[in-house]
Amino acid sequence: MNPLLDQFLSEGRDFLQSIGERLLQLEEAPGDSALMNELFRLVHTLKGNSGLFDLPEMTRVLHAAEDLMDAVRDGRIPFDRPLADCLLEAMDFVATLIDEIAEAPGDAPPSTAHHASDALRLGETLRSLLQDRARSADGADPAEEEPPAPPERPEAGASDARPSALDPIDLPEPLRADLIRRLEAGGSFCWLRYEPEEECFFKGEDPVHQMLQLGDPLWCRLESREDWPPLAELDAYRCLLRFEAILDTTPERLAEHFRYVPDQVRFEPLSQEILTAATAAEGGPASTSDRAFSAEAEWSFDLVLEAQREILALSDTPPWLDGRLRAVAASLSAAFASVGRESEIEGLEPALQAAIETRSPTPLFAWLAARHPQPHAGRATAPDDDTGGGSDRIAAAPAPGEPTSISSSDPEESIRFGRRAEDQLTSPRTLKVDQVKIDRLMNLIGEMVVAKNALPYLAGRAEEVFGVRELAREIKAQYGVINRIAEEMQDAIMQVRMMPVSFVFQRFPRLVRDIAHKLGKEVRLVMEGESTEADKNIIEALADPLVHIVRNSLDHGLETPEARQAAGKPREGRLSILARQESDRVLIEIADDGSGIDPDRIRRKAYERGLIDEAELERLTDQEAINLVFAAGFSTAEQVSDLSGRGVGMDVVRNAIARVNGSIDLRSQVGRGTTLRLSLPLSMAVTNVMIVESAGQRFGVPMDAVAETVRVARSDIRTIKRRRTTMLRGRLIPLLALNDLLALDAEQIANDDDELAVLVVRVDQEYLGIVVDDCRETIDIILKPLAGFLGGLTGYAGSALLGDGSVLLVFNPRELI
Amino acid sequence: MKRILVIDDAATVRLYHRGILESAGFEVTEAVNGIEALERVAEAPFDLYLVDVNMPKLDGYGFLRELRAKDLPQAPAIMVSTEAGANDQKLAYLTGANLYLVKPVRPGRLLSHVHTLLGMTPSSEGRTS
Repeated sequence: MNPLLDQFLSEGRDFLQSIGERLLQLEEAPGDSALMNELFRLVHTLKGNSGLFDLPEMTRVLHAAEDLMDAVRDGRIPFDRPLADCLLEAMDFVATLIDEIAEAPGDAPPSTAHHASDALRLGETLRSLLQDRARSADGADPAEEEPPAPPERPEAGASDARPSALDPIDLPEPLRADLIRRLEAGGSFCWLRYEPEEECFFKGEDPVHQMLQLGDPLWCRLESREDWPPLAELDAYRCLLRFEAILDTTPERLAEHFRYVPDQVRFEPLSQEILTAATAAEGGPASTSDRAFSAEAEWSFDLVLEAQREILALSDTPPWLDGRLRAVAASLSAAFASVGRESEIEGLEPALQAAIETRSPTPLFAWLAARHPQPHAGRATAPDDDTGGGSDRIAAAPAPGEPTSISSSDPEESIRFGRRAEDQLTSPRTLKVDQVKIDRLMNLIGEMVVAKNALPYLAGRAEEVFGVRELAREIKAQYGVINRIAEEMQDAIMQVRMMPVSFVFQRFPRLVRDIAHKLGKEVRLVMEGESTEADKNIIEALADPLVHIVRNSLDHGLETPEARQAAGKPREGRLSILARQESDRVLIEIADDGSGIDPDRIRRKAYERGLIDEAELERLTDQEAINLVFAAGFSTAEQVSDLSGRGVGMDVVRNAIARVNGSIDLRSQVGRGTTLRLSLPLSMAVTNVMIVESAGQRFGVPMDAVAETVRVARSDIRTIKRRRTTMLRGRLIPLLALNDLLALDAEQIANDDDELAVLVVRVDQEYLGIVVDDCRETIDIILKPLAGFLGGLTGYAGSALLGDGSVLLVFNPRELI
Repeated sequence: MKRILVIDDAATVRLYHRGILESAGFEVTEAVNGIEALERVAEAPFDLYLVDVNMPKLDGYGFLRELRAKDLPQAPAIMVSTEAGANDQKLAYLTGANLYLVKPVRPGRLLSHVHTLLGMTPSSEGRTS
């Protein structure tokens, strides 16, 4: 993928994350103007960046969002929940596009045209929100706003542009002069803008014919309402044309001519005011193109100032330094004047004189620094085509030599963009590294850890086979050194892979807010310990289960405000998510103060679903009953909502947690709430396994699962209900032969005293004995999941290389049984 | 009317820039290399210079050095290059350019910079006439 696009995508995701956070923060503090500015800046920059590529859908939505935020920032419309909802939805849309683009192969961003209708809908929603709010704000405070001109900028793209948008820049000077002369002489002309609707060809309309019927215009311009897509994607049946003309005719005739499409045309008698509109625009409402110009101007201003700053930072003193300084001063003076800040220019001249006298740019540099401290990141980005494109196209028309420079290939922009990206990298001294690279490093280190284990074997062979004891000792000494380095490397890479749980937590404010909103519940989310760290794999494995748990809490746990009030609880429910580290485990606790789980209801449901029999129905303790929610296919929701859905239950959550050697514990009190505790290892890169032998082969068992190993005399094994069992310290333990589990055609071998080796494993608080031939040492291994064809074998947790080069299969007791 | 000197050895580029600038109401003078440009400057200084880099006889850098060494009112200069490298930009700044743009420069962008460097506000008459 091309680096610029890559940068845009990764930066874009960061922006979206920040925007989401700011939006939620703003809900808490709607009056925080710093937050509002920050939010606007983020949206603005993201929009600007998207404009560097051919992504009309994304740009369209972002543009609408930016306008909305602009209005909020200026206090023209209030910030509230529906508005936040709308903006969040827009950002979700952008995130979808970014994901799609990131997944697409090739250098150029793929077309996202199939989202065009969504983009249109979102854009319109945002715009209508803006208009509605602006209107109601006007209505609410009629005293504050003078009737004729609320100082509100019309949204770009709004088609109600007055003819004053017929900016004089568009008209050739001789024609303008000629028109003014003819107007003075009593002539009457009309200005016309005709924007046929996109589907017009399907309605039997022929816009060009319509225009030709009008007779020869004095002036006419034909342009596209949006940038042309690449030829391959061009939809020739969509009409995107805009006709503008000055005609020797009357408004009445035009009204008659366009009577079938009155909503698609604008016309007005041509007047001197329109022809010299620039001055008129000062007093009247700013026109669309003014808006575009001012955005361009501001951007140019920033760019020019940045360039002068760079020039002033040069330390050489060539013979032409004076001239260079003067030119910089002239540029600065012009730039400030171009944005209406002439008043600030005073002081520039003395600074220039001082600079020339001392032959040093410092005085000018100081002058500039005082007036324009730091170029704003957002400002330095190019305005997008919607605002800047208008003028481009107008001027482009008479220039036949212009190469087709659609945004994405404009090197002028790519450079600036690249430079900006570097600037950002320098502030936090961190490096963004592709996960794949870290994984590779980790695998290599893992292999080295294993490879070094061959050295003791080698030393043994040197001594026993070749009889060189001296060499064996040296090898062992060297092994010690390599071992230490390997362990440190392993530790170092573990540190790199550590991620804060906030990676998963950060989505919850939004998630909780949205779901609570949808369900009509009031929920206060409390999060603690977001900085608690664990291995990347653990954190990633945590994401989905946690989301599911949180959804469950909101959906089934917490009650509606009314129900809570009736139960004497505060209307607002409380959901807390806490993370903390305890020795080498990460504990995550998700607690709500909702209705809790009713063990009787669980018993009943479980019985109805055939998960337990009548005897169990009576015998199960409340806690055991509650734990039944982890049983496969169990769902207590009376109604399946669109949130928790059907199919994915707590059993999936438990399995996901178990897969990374985690455990889950559920406590609940009826009417008081539910607490789930997840306990996960900090890292799963190194696994401690016990080696067992069976049928002449060696297998590994994760030590986490092993409770103890015992020798059981064959005579102590009883068969109860066709299952072999034995008594172990007063407890009945069912026994299973490993050879049977693995379908190995061999009897388990007993030792000389006719005792069988039994591995007692713990699966879901239950104990179970696995009969093996022999239990051996425990070792640390780098466990690699089985890949390819073997990946489907659920009985195995993975494989590992041993020091002697052999492969050890590690089985997973839970799946095996 | 603001006067702009367009210096480029390629006729197409000169035409392109002339078209953009004249449509925005500027008076455009052309020069095909640095030497000729200096001759034009000697006749009367300009309000803005649009300078190409590679030209025969005297290139854009040479022209800017000579221009900045003159005892004249120093007007801003935009260097327009095909090279996007940071070094090229720095060289342009060292010799006396005030802005460095990479070809092809889009008309809207060019006009925007020209207006800024000539001190014209978006809504002022100067900018649009």
